[in-house]
Amino acid sequence: MEIEKRVVDLTDRLSYIKDIFGGRENANVALMQARLDEFAVREREASPGERAQMVRQIEDLFDFLEKKLDDELVPMDMVRIVRHPARISLKDILENVYDNYTEIGGQDEYSIDPSMLIARAYITRRQGDKVVNQPVMVIGQEKGHGQEFRNGGSVKPWGNAKALQYMKVAETERIPIHSYVFTPGAFPVEDYPGAAQQIARNLYEMGGLRVPVVSVISEGGSGGAEAIGLSDVRMMLSRGYYSVISPEGAAAIEAGIRQGQRVAPELIAECAKRLNITAADNLRMGYIDKVLEEPALGTRPHHYDFFKTLRQEMIQATDQVFLGIAGFKLFRALVASRRKGGDPESMFVRWTLDEDAADRLVWKRYCKYRRMAETAFRDGRPSGERIASRAKSLVWSGYSFIRYDFLGKHTKTLAKAASDLEAELRLVAHKLTAPLRRQDKNAPVVCDPEKSRMLTELSQPEQGACLEEFGWRYVSPKAAEDRAVTCPGAKTYGCPDLWAPDLYGDFAGVCVNCGHHFPMEYEWVLGNVFDAESIVEYDNDIEAGNPLDYPGFEDKLDAAKKKTGRKSGCVSLDAKIDGIKLVSTVLYSAFRGGSVGAAEGEKFIRALARARRKHYPFLAYVHGTAGIRIQESLNGLIQMPRVTLAVRRYIEAGGLYVVLYDTNSYAGPVASFLGCSPYQFAVRSANIGFAGPGVIKETTGVDIPPDYHQAHNALARGHIQGIWDRREIRKNLKQVLLTIGGRNLYYR
Amino acid sequence: MSTKKHKVLVANRGEIAIRIIQACVSLGLDFVCVYTRADEGSGHLALARQLGGPEAAYRVSSYHDANELLAVADHAGATAIHPGYGFFAEDFRFARRVAERKRGLIFIGPSWRIIRTLGDKINTKRLARSLSIPTVPGSDRPVYDEMEAEEIAETLFAFQAEQGIANSVVLVKASAGGGGMGIEEIYDIEQFKTVYRRIRNYAKRQFHDEGVLIEQRIFDFNHLEVQIVADRTGTGIVHFGTRNCTIQSTGRQKRVEIAPGFRPEEIAYAFDAAKLLDDITGYSLAMAREVGYDNVGTWEWIVSPTGQPFLMEVNTRIQVENGVSAAISRIKGKGDVNIIAEQIRLGLGEPMGYDQSDVTFEGVGIEYRVIAEDPANRFTPWVGRIDQFLAPNLPYARLHTHIPMDAPYEIPTEYDPNLALAIIWGKDLAEAKKRGTDYLDELTLSGADGTGAEMKTNIRYLREKTATILQF
Repeated sequence: MEIEKRVVDLTDRLSYIKDIFGGRENANVALMQARLDEFAVREREASPGERAQMVRQIEDLFDFLEKKLDDELVPMDMVRIVRHPARISLKDILENVYDNYTEIGGQDEYSIDPSMLIARAYITRRQGDKVVNQPVMVIGQEKGHGQEFRNGGSVKPWGNAKALQYMKVAETERIPIHSYVFTPGAFPVEDYPGAAQQIARNLYEMGGLRVPVVSVISEGGSGGAEAIGLSDVRMMLSRGYYSVISPEGAAAIEAGIRQGQRVAPELIAECAKRLNITAADNLRMGYIDKVLEEPALGTRPHHYDFFKTLRQEMIQATDQVFLGIAGFKLFRALVASRRKGGDPESMFVRWTLDEDAADRLVWKRYCKYRRMAETAFRDGRPSGERIASRAKSLVWSGYSFIRYDFLGKHTKTLAKAASDLEAELRLVAHKLTAPLRRQDKNAPVVCDPEKSRMLTELSQPEQGACLEEFGWRYVSPKAAEDRAVTCPGAKTYGCPDLWAPDLYGDFAGVCVNCGHHFPMEYEWVLGNVFDAESIVEYDNDIEAGNPLDYPGFEDKLDAAKKKTGRKSGCVSLDAKIDGIKLVSTVLYSAFRGGSVGAAEGEKFIRALARARRKHYPFLAYVHGTAGIRIQESLNGLIQMPRVTLAVRRYIEAGGLYVVLYDTNSYAGPVASFLGCSPYQFAVRSANIGFAGPGVIKETTGVDIPPDYHQAHNALARGHIQGIWDRREIRKNLKQVLLTIGGRNLYYR
Repeated sequence: MSTKKHKVLVANRGEIAIRIIQACVSLGLDFVCVYTRADEGSGHLALARQLGGPEAAYRVSSYHDANELLAVADHAGATAIHPGYGFFAEDFRFARRVAERKRGLIFIGPSWRIIRTLGDKINTKRLARSLSIPTVPGSDRPVYDEMEAEEIAETLFAFQAEQGIANSVVLVKASAGGGGMGIEEIYDIEQFKTVYRRIRNYAKRQFHDEGVLIEQRIFDFNHLEVQIVADRTGTGIVHFGTRNCTIQSTGRQKRVEIAPGFRPEEIAYAFDAAKLLDDITGYSLAMAREVGYDNVGTWEWIVSPTGQPFLMEVNTRIQVENGVSAAISRIKGKGDVNIIAEQIRLGLGEPMGYDQSDVTFEGVGIEYRVIAEDPANRFTPWVGRIDQFLAPNLPYARLHTHIPMDAPYEIPTEYDPNLALAIIWGKDLAEAKKRGTDYLDELTLSGADGTGAEMKTNIRYLREKTATILQF
């Protein structure tokens, strides 16, 4: 009996190995198979003792070969490991790492979203004779070893909302958060809320969580991973992957695959390699802090030793965060940082923090993310200029402090006093002169000739006789063509065909009958929304690069640069709207679909810093974005939390962060630094969402209606706050600048 | 005539299409016309086929489809387009498209920039004021500021009181509005704030523009017009006299037009009517010169009971009532003036060939618009079949109509029920009135609608109104 069980075990091990090698030919695997087959033939005539001997031999061979095979793993194998049902799941961790736990927010299929698991757990530690239960909030995706209802760890928006809710609970209870990332990506539905909307909320709130967050990434699939992954210590399991997109998705884009077609497996494997998705890659690039070494070929639930390591690592990481910000630490910090391999439980760190420590924690988190991906773009400026600009920004910071925080306060107080005094004086004067102003009611009415001139003569002659209300400053080149354009609303609303010079010229690309918005180039907004001659671009030398040396991408980048005459997909500028100065960044679709990489993220962050220092309002104009630039992989993905943190810092400094979507805006940026704005507006032509129709079909199998992502639906979902007519962008923006936004804007 | 032989696309229907076709033929030009399915029985189609053969008419789905009209123009090899009145006549975008498309055509009407400038009432008003031409007292640009608006209204009340107007009324209108939408009267400055806010909010919601206009309301006015004719140089500009179009239906649609605008020789007015006519023609010419007006157009004026003229708007097109001005005009002593023919001739680039001193006026003209409608019932249009249409053939009368005289005609429901224009000329007002009444007495129109009910026309109404014409 004993022998048979061991043989079944061996067979399972082999089939697991075959699974993760994905049918790849391998001599070692063949050898293992051969030995098992041989045993099956020979066991019948062998005595029990011999059988035991043979099984032990095979087991030894398996142990040896598994270690050898472990070295042969290619990135795609990692993907297969984490997706394998035998892979450890969050429940295994809860049972083996923590001492006690209660699942909250539902259990198994009776949950708001079974793929998101939340538990209050204890880690029991000793301090001398005392036993201390240290509570933590554990949050993570649960794949449930292939349980159908877990949806493979693909979390729906309400699952992420649940996670956020309990993160806030942890914050209230002041207990640390341990988050475990086991997700292939978020489930791309648009609901109430939509996927992008919720992830953006999560990121924004996590950026300001006043308790430590420690995360462990096993399967870090894009936005879904970021939804709970913004943390103070980021660790990764050595056989895990952490990527901006699944290798299949990357390959489909690479090959330009249409719906229903299949991608060659070789290309998928190749993409997995190019995307630099392994733990080692991510550690090298600096996006994780530590790799947790797993047993050969990945951890499965029977690897109890690994759970012990994981427990120690979690405790140590949490200790470190607390010690890093604690007021009183002395030797413990020193020991904690030097400690290697020793038992972290031998030393006790209290997991509580006061307000000051929490401030330090949030600031450290901001700095941590600010430093990431700093070398993933090209900075074309000479070093002298770089130093000069840094010096200039320092001076600005100082000036801004004196001007707004110091002098500003006193000026306001003085002005208040002056206006009170003036009102008092006026009142007295009015009372005193009252008898003099009494009039004879029967006197004939005489019209002031000065005023009656206003009624019969040209008012404001300086404006000329004909008020210039026709035409836009920037006129689209499409307006030069002599052709008629049929409005898509023609069938429904009976719109007449529009002559291109009218449509793209005077009508600003809007059908005059039904209001359908034809797409226009981003220059239209630059030219017609901002005041004439008021645009000053900067940071133009920050250039999109190819940090992973993704093959063939250099050419594509060069082509985009040549086509647009710009170096990245983001334009940062200072401009004015009716005299109000503001900082704006423009993401435009002409440059690689408006995708966001390290350069774009950096420009965003710098622009936000500039707006914060100068107390300017900030407008993010999104003329389409296709998402994170996948060829940069994590260098791009990390911009999601990174820029969101910068946005949070700007908003908390009292700024006004307005987002305006035009055309198609999807994925990462919308699910982070754009979607987190409290004031998002869309031009009627906009489509806003997490994933495009093709991706939704592929990942969920659902056919979505054609207007699924349209602005009016985004409005209904509460993602955006208003829909604007393109011809009224300027007017509405002016209105927003005047009516929305905090006291810290320079013109308030 | 220019060396190139032109072909004119008649982009209109009914009476004006007939007039344009006839004018083209008289000028020796080719023409091509369009018609819709509903207009297959219309006289303009029959005339086009009769004068131009089967290729002279194209069927289109709508007179308002620019693409189709231009496709017809290209296919037929037209070199110019005459828009008539209504439809595209005052659409500067169409005029611009016609002129600026790859295969450019001549738009017979003022050039598009002029249509654009004068098509905007606020611009027209400002332009007039910049030339010291009187306009309705009030603001000449959209006002966005509440305090400024209140000041204007206040001054406007004082202004009217000073003028001795007993019941001052001020109008508050949405500057982006039109057609009676977003317009209210106030009788007292105390009402202003409430009404202003109501109009402003209405305008903001309806037109996405908060601007309001504040104007004096003028009561009991007469509606006068000045007919301007200019050549393409923008310098040869003459007027063809004035018209009085005060007799209108309840919906402010003209029913009787008389040239000249007043008749001080026969009727006593409370003001110097001769001077007033001189003033408004002078102002109109000055403004036409200022903008470089380059085709026919009409300056519309309202005249208050005290004889003050105010410029209302400029119609940058040929008007329905052009024939009545032509009836009293003589060029170098010669009668039989055809303003439509002049428009086409000048539109195609010919020089004027005469000046104001060559244009003289003689007698009184009356134009009646014979319409199937019920004047007793708020001028409700009548739709049905005309069985009999008999008009007297008299030397002093002209009848422009697209209704066939020899066959029953079904009035199409798609277009306005205008049936005929009768133009009567008399050597003085008394004779014109007499001839007008006689003519109307002899005019016979009968028919029945789907229910068998008898046809309704405004002939009796026109006859009644003839008694008081030109009296103020």
